[in-house]
Amino acid sequence: MNNLLGLGLCQLGAILLLIAAWGVVRLPDALSRQHAATKAGTLALFTFILGAGLLMPDPAWIGRLALLLLVLLVTLPLASHALARAALREAKAMKDRSSDDQGVER
Amino acid sequence: MTLLYACVVLAGLAALLGFYRLLRGPTAADRVVALDLLFAVAVLLGVAAALITGHTAFLDVALGLALVGFVGTLAWARWIDQYAAREEESP
Repeated sequence: MNNLLGLGLCQLGAILLLIAAWGVVRLPDALSRQHAATKAGTLALFTFILGAGLLMPDPAWIGRLALLLLVLLVTLPLASHALARAALREAKAMKDRSSDDQGVER
Repeated sequence: MTLLYACVVLAGLAALLGFYRLLRGPTAADRVVALDLLFAVAVLLGVAAALITGHTAFLDVALGLALVGFVGTLAWARWIDQYAAREEESP
């Protein structure tokens, strides 16, 4: 039972990661791509690690998986926040520059 | 076990899509987003490798990859931030 649930969660995690990658390819600009990669990617990793914990109910595994989960929980939002700010700043700079260029040409 | 290999195939497809955005992505931020996604794929593959082989060492690999990915993403984001700020000041 645990085995089946664990395998199902692992499968769900891999599918969610694929959906995240699909979003990164399909969405129109850097901010929305970042949103797809971070939110769906985080959920995918959490689901997969939860499934791995159910598959291997052993102290050595649970400890490492919990540590990995904790590290991801702390680092992913920080990285995505910094990335979103950089994307916004870059989009603004590029927009300013292109409007400047048009001003010079005309 | 076969289902775990199916997970590896799905993660490989996700990595291919990520590489497409990494090579194509019009702005630098797009490329860093793709890099972030590739690190997520790598962490998932590390856990999958640990499950398939039964060695916990691959979990340590996944932990290291998560930390390196975090520092790398943060560094690239800061670089883009500063580059864009300089660009705004002196066009």
